[in-house]
Amino acid sequence: MKVGGRLLEDEMSVVTEPDVLPRRRWRGIAASPEVASLIILAIVLIGFSLARPAFLSPLNVSNMMAFLPELGIIALGMTLLLTAGEFDLSVGATFALGPVIVMLLAQNGVVDIGTALAIGLLVCIAIGTINGLIVTKIGISSFLVTLSMLMIVRGVALYITQGFPLKAWNEPGVFVTMLAGSFTLGGFRLYTSLWWFIGLTILTAYVLNYSKLGNWISAIGSNRNAAVARGVPADRVKIGLFILTSVLAGLAGMISAFRISNASPVAGTGYELEVIAMVVVGGTALTGGRGTVLGTIIGALMLRAIRNGIVLIGVPGLAFNIFVGAIILVMLIVHATIQKGGGRR
Amino acid sequence: MNEAQEILRLDRVRKSFGNVHALRNASMVVREGEVVALLGDNGAGKSTLIKAISGVHPFDGGEIRVRGEKAEIRTARDAMDLGIETIHQDTSLAPDLSIARNLFLGREPVKMPWLGVFAPLDFGALNQAATTLLKRVGISKKLDADVLVNTLSGGERQSIAISRAMQFAAKLIILDEPTNNLGVEETHGVLRFVRDVKAAGHSVLFITHNIHHVFQVADRLVVMRRGEVVAERAVADTDLLSVEALIMGVDVADLAQDGGAH
Repeated sequence: MKVGGRLLEDEMSVVTEPDVLPRRRWRGIAASPEVASLIILAIVLIGFSLARPAFLSPLNVSNMMAFLPELGIIALGMTLLLTAGEFDLSVGATFALGPVIVMLLAQNGVVDIGTALAIGLLVCIAIGTINGLIVTKIGISSFLVTLSMLMIVRGVALYITQGFPLKAWNEPGVFVTMLAGSFTLGGFRLYTSLWWFIGLTILTAYVLNYSKLGNWISAIGSNRNAAVARGVPADRVKIGLFILTSVLAGLAGMISAFRISNASPVAGTGYELEVIAMVVVGGTALTGGRGTVLGTIIGALMLRAIRNGIVLIGVPGLAFNIFVGAIILVMLIVHATIQKGGGRR
Repeated sequence: MNEAQEILRLDRVRKSFGNVHALRNASMVVREGEVVALLGDNGAGKSTLIKAISGVHPFDGGEIRVRGEKAEIRTARDAMDLGIETIHQDTSLAPDLSIARNLFLGREPVKMPWLGVFAPLDFGALNQAATTLLKRVGISKKLDADVLVNTLSGGERQSIAISRAMQFAAKLIILDEPTNNLGVEETHGVLRFVRDVKAAGHSVLFITHNIHHVFQVADRLVVMRRGEVVAERAVADTDLLSVEALIMGVDVADLAQDGGAH
């Protein structure tokens, strides 16, 4: 009886398989968070360009592309960190402190610009290490730890500059070209930061989706105890990701500072929330376990496009945040709906 | 007495959390190819014992011997390297990962291993091994290796966790309340699985609250009370009521009378 039942079941599944599988796969793709984000991004882009054709002009696209990498680079680190189940509110402050230290050291002739950049990045590594150690070893939530770190880092940046932006930096050199050089490509003025962004995106996407480490990151965020029970060094991975996020925030700050030839202690204020918004709008789960680098890129493009487009179509500057907030909410509702549908399947 | 080889021997192991002595001088043995049930009321020290054996938190003192050799278990990796695989209660799988990725979590097959943690996963090997494994498991319905674990039922998850343990040719598989939160049919699936595991030559140590399951699959039972091992019995030599009496630390006669009164 039992054998017969088993056989029948097998036959049935063989018969239905060719019919069911492609449909299920198609539904899987349509229901993936990246596709939903992509569709909404397309709607946003088409909407703005219909309302204001200047939205797609080379000048405007160049402008968007100049800003995109600076927040986008931080968002890459944040994507991995969120996937592992943690986040970092101190990135906006680190974005300011990194270049402030570099320019202070270089402008006062303490060290040459190369050494100054190295010291700036070392400070970022230190910030990430402290964040990571307190979160993993003492077990305080990353919200509280990095909120405190935000205030400390911002405070240091304000104190060492006495609250004023530094003198303009006008010495070109190999490092400045590497961070903030620009070039023209078919009518578009592009910055080298775009290459940094593209390179780092490929690396991050590789690590998350294809490497052993990526498997660990997702597993830690999905079920930390399970990962630890399989011998995954969860604390070391998390500390590493806090360091990565801080370093990327500092690097983005340096790129930004050299692009405008100036470092300000109040640069990057509020970036932490905008970056987290980019990441979750793209489809990465705030609760960990599910991360998508492609989604983050879409999210970064979307927030940049909205910021830019809303000004172009003439929404008053002060009303701007209303739209950004509303669009983020819509995105989150879309993702949550998809998630529920996926669970029922 | 000592006909089969000893896989695991614990000799007067201890573990305290602050002032709480979770384990005091607990000693026990698991032999090759046997299914041992670990019983005890809440707080008896069962979970502490298996967490220490699996390297989640190490013993404070006492001796562990694996296949006769003195062993040191400080981390989960140490335990796995000694051939001890543990299926923790509700925490053995990452729900957001595919079955294939879960099966090899922590032991991912990679290409270019010199890249360390950045080495690319060998997806071909991963999926092939996972598919073979799932075929062998043969759970109620066909499962794709790339299906996410959060779409599976509790029983399917347990089966996958257990097959993962078998996959790595573990000498000893520890199951922490494997039938918790499972339906009747799924429970039977898991128990059948335990028999398969034994038939394949692995030893099993399983923690349970359900004494009926002990009589269905175990060869021997070990009873803990207040951090100590208080009794060991061959399942064939005892009965349900005696086991309950051992767990509660009362006389069988009292228990029988008590049971009769209701």
